[in-house]
Amino acid sequence: MLSRKIIDELTAVLGKENVLTEKEELACYSFDATADMPQSMPDVFVTPTCTEEVQKVVEIASKNKVPVYTRGSGTNLSGGTIPLKNGIVMGMVKMNKILEIDAENLNAVVQPGVIIQDLNDAVAKHGLIYPPDPGTVKTATMGGSVAECSGGLRGLKYGVTKDYVMGLEVVLANGKVMRCGGKTVKNVTAYDMVKLFVGSEGTLGIITEIIVKLIPAPETRKSFLASFKSLDDAANSITGIIASKVIPATLEIMDNATIKTVENYAHVGLPTDAEAILLIEVDGLPEVVAKEAQAVEKVCKENNGQLKVAETDEERDNLWTARRAALPALAQVSPTTVLEDATVPRSEIPKMLKALQEIAGKYDLKIGTFGHAGDGNLHPTILTDERNKEEMERVHKAVDEIFDAALKLGGTLSGEHGIGMAKMKYLENEFKEAGVEALRSIKKALDPENILNPGKIIDLEG
Amino acid sequence: MELELNTVQQIIEIVGEDNVLTNLEERICYSYDGTFQRGIPELVVFPANTQEVAEIVKLANKEKFPVFPRGAGTGLSGGSIPMSSGVALVLTRMNKIKEINSEDMLAVLEPGVITGHFNQEVEKLGLYYPPDPASLKTCTMGGNIAENAGGPRAFKYGVTKDYVLGLEVVTPQGEIMHTGGRTVKNVTGYDLTRLLTGSEGTLGIITEITVRLLPKPKEIRTALVIFDKLEDAASSVTAIIRNGVIPATLELMDQIAIKCVENFNHLGLPLDAEAVLLIEVDGGKNQVEEDIISIEEICQNHHCRKIHIASLAEEREKLWKARRAVSSAIVQLKPTKISEDATVPRSKIPEMVKRLREIASKYNLHIPVFGHAGDGNLHPNILADKNNKEEMERVQKAVDEIFHAALELRGTLSGEHGIGIMKKPYLQWELGEVGIEYLRAIKRAVDPNNILNPGKVF
Repeated sequence: MLSRKIIDELTAVLGKENVLTEKEELACYSFDATADMPQSMPDVFVTPTCTEEVQKVVEIASKNKVPVYTRGSGTNLSGGTIPLKNGIVMGMVKMNKILEIDAENLNAVVQPGVIIQDLNDAVAKHGLIYPPDPGTVKTATMGGSVAECSGGLRGLKYGVTKDYVMGLEVVLANGKVMRCGGKTVKNVTAYDMVKLFVGSEGTLGIITEIIVKLIPAPETRKSFLASFKSLDDAANSITGIIASKVIPATLEIMDNATIKTVENYAHVGLPTDAEAILLIEVDGLPEVVAKEAQAVEKVCKENNGQLKVAETDEERDNLWTARRAALPALAQVSPTTVLEDATVPRSEIPKMLKALQEIAGKYDLKIGTFGHAGDGNLHPTILTDERNKEEMERVHKAVDEIFDAALKLGGTLSGEHGIGMAKMKYLENEFKEAGVEALRSIKKALDPENILNPGKIIDLEG
Repeated sequence: MELELNTVQQIIEIVGEDNVLTNLEERICYSYDGTFQRGIPELVVFPANTQEVAEIVKLANKEKFPVFPRGAGTGLSGGSIPMSSGVALVLTRMNKIKEINSEDMLAVLEPGVITGHFNQEVEKLGLYYPPDPASLKTCTMGGNIAENAGGPRAFKYGVTKDYVLGLEVVTPQGEIMHTGGRTVKNVTGYDLTRLLTGSEGTLGIITEITVRLLPKPKEIRTALVIFDKLEDAASSVTAIIRNGVIPATLELMDQIAIKCVENFNHLGLPLDAEAVLLIEVDGGKNQVEEDIISIEEICQNHHCRKIHIASLAEEREKLWKARRAVSSAIVQLKPTKISEDATVPRSKIPEMVKRLREIASKYNLHIPVFGHAGDGNLHPNILADKNNKEEMERVQKAVDEIFHAALELRGTLSGEHGIGIMKKPYLQWELGEVGIEYLRAIKRAVDPNNILNPGKVF
């Protein structure tokens, strides 16, 4: 428990309305969107309204050696925002202003609490887009998605959050403010601290301002749904499309378990007898889109796919509603959904899909797989019930094997969700001792008292 | 400090006698880079593989001698200069392309591979590695990654860091570490791959590189546009981008640069023009045609004198010859070239060009301006004679003002050359005491004995 004195200090800095201490209120910040994680209550929840207030909170925390857990909307999927060691949860939602849209230089300056969709709506007026679009684009904050380096459906062609962050203002563990990067496309002034912060999950500093790159909105786009009688055909189509030198904006896969569940939930007319479907979107200039669409059709047909083109905006929206419904639909079938994001090189997708089927069979579990096939980032989702102890043991073994399989195929533990608490114990499997030691030494150097989001990514005791 | 004979003997045992240079004459060859900085290493060593690099670095930690990793030595910030001590570790023998994978669109290679050679190899397979620093015929991929090299195509395609997927690195303690991997998405732990890219050899020695590739663009058109007024060229650049055209390259040369190039290889450039723009668009056939028409219209609206358009590879190469020759050609004016790469947000290009002209006349210096106008990365080059003390003092003042101007316009000290030794004194202007302390904390944490490339960056 924090002493009354610390609470008073925080209240003096932030005002009463920005300091919550009631148990009922605090409970809301004891968990995030990740399943199968311990809950942990913060001692206090604070909502600073400007960088200076963030600084003061960190100074108080640093002086009293109290942990600070920074939090946006809490939509993350690796337990990254859970206040494991109690202390202060700092909600950034009140710092939610879009400070500048610089259409001439194709960038925008935002505060961390801005909702991703709100930024996209604001830049749309200028004919621009901010491409990263995690599934939670309507609730997730910019600060959270920078801290976690979120991906999304358009990662294949447009890259992930880190490819769009140009500059940051950060409050460091010692309470000082640092600015890195800036408004230029090129910047090699000293180490790339911007990229070090992106994806550091709130363990190295607190992001208080973000400069992001924007791009012109594509003129046209075309969406397809291709259904397949076999997973292999679907997988071969994925590699075939890329091999024909077409890079779709989106290339998503859903297996049979997911198709059935989504159809049952959203009734959008998905073929429930298909082993797999691909959702594909190409975008760009009209003539480019036409050409790429032809190539996509050809490859899918060669691989025995049934093709449906979205002719109207409504049909297109329906397709993407189906994809975005995948997770909520799966979640509705069972009380607990354990969602992973182990990622493999694209050409290894067929092997990964097969491995997932085998793992599901071996541990007698229901695993629905969907995800960003184009960039190798699948989301195997285990449907389970955390109250069933025996089953959860099987789930944990299956998760171990999923990560093993991904690493063996030259992949990584996490494509877009981050390590957080959920994947900490696997970190050494990927980074080996030298890598873990490098991460640990950086964390220790930049946050010597371990007050920023302690207990995440790396075990400092190790 | 001096290397003990015993230490030299141990290094010879690791790499073999043939791969160590001890003679002064030979060592001098490794004392410089593309700047006018010098520092003769005590020993030059050519390791053959990762294991040898690791053993040398382990020995360096034990015996506390500095190690200066080096590729082809084309750096423009003094980044690879051995500070008159220790070992220059030259990675040019590690020059194999290990894999080019069309399915996953990636390649795995050793650091000593020449960038231009690698470009050619991937293009044979219909693939494309966009970063193209001007020195691509000699520079190495390892050096490109350590410095995070840019190049003309960065405007559309980004810089080296946008293509590095994974690295094998020998840490400052001599351990072998793998970062990133073969996937486009990877958020496992801190982004050590990006931290090492551009770290100028101070945080680890890159021994293997995995890069992302793109499909090769189908069509390319190049336009050389001549302007009577420099201001018109600069404002054309912003207008092109504002119109939604994203050329692969958008290069600017001012009058001094034009004169030097013309004198150097007689390409028929008009000597009375104040500026030329070299613009290249790529993509599908219709798209490049549409783009080139828009570019023509915009340049005409901005009072250009003439436009040459080339689509055949041969003709395009001729137009490019001028741009690639600039850096060598301008040395005709004076022997010492101080090449800067202060970068501004691209809407500030006209303002930056104006300020550079004022600085040149204020200090009575030759400052040809050329560079990557599209991404705000100009290369003002100050030409002087380093033996002329009085002139060099004026140069120093001009450099100060150039950096001031860039930062005032919300730019950065370095767009693509890195900090090295040359820009160290200015780092604080951009990052402040807090930022520098942060950099130091990282360096001290991973290289506590300060073995790797000491004296650089900060």
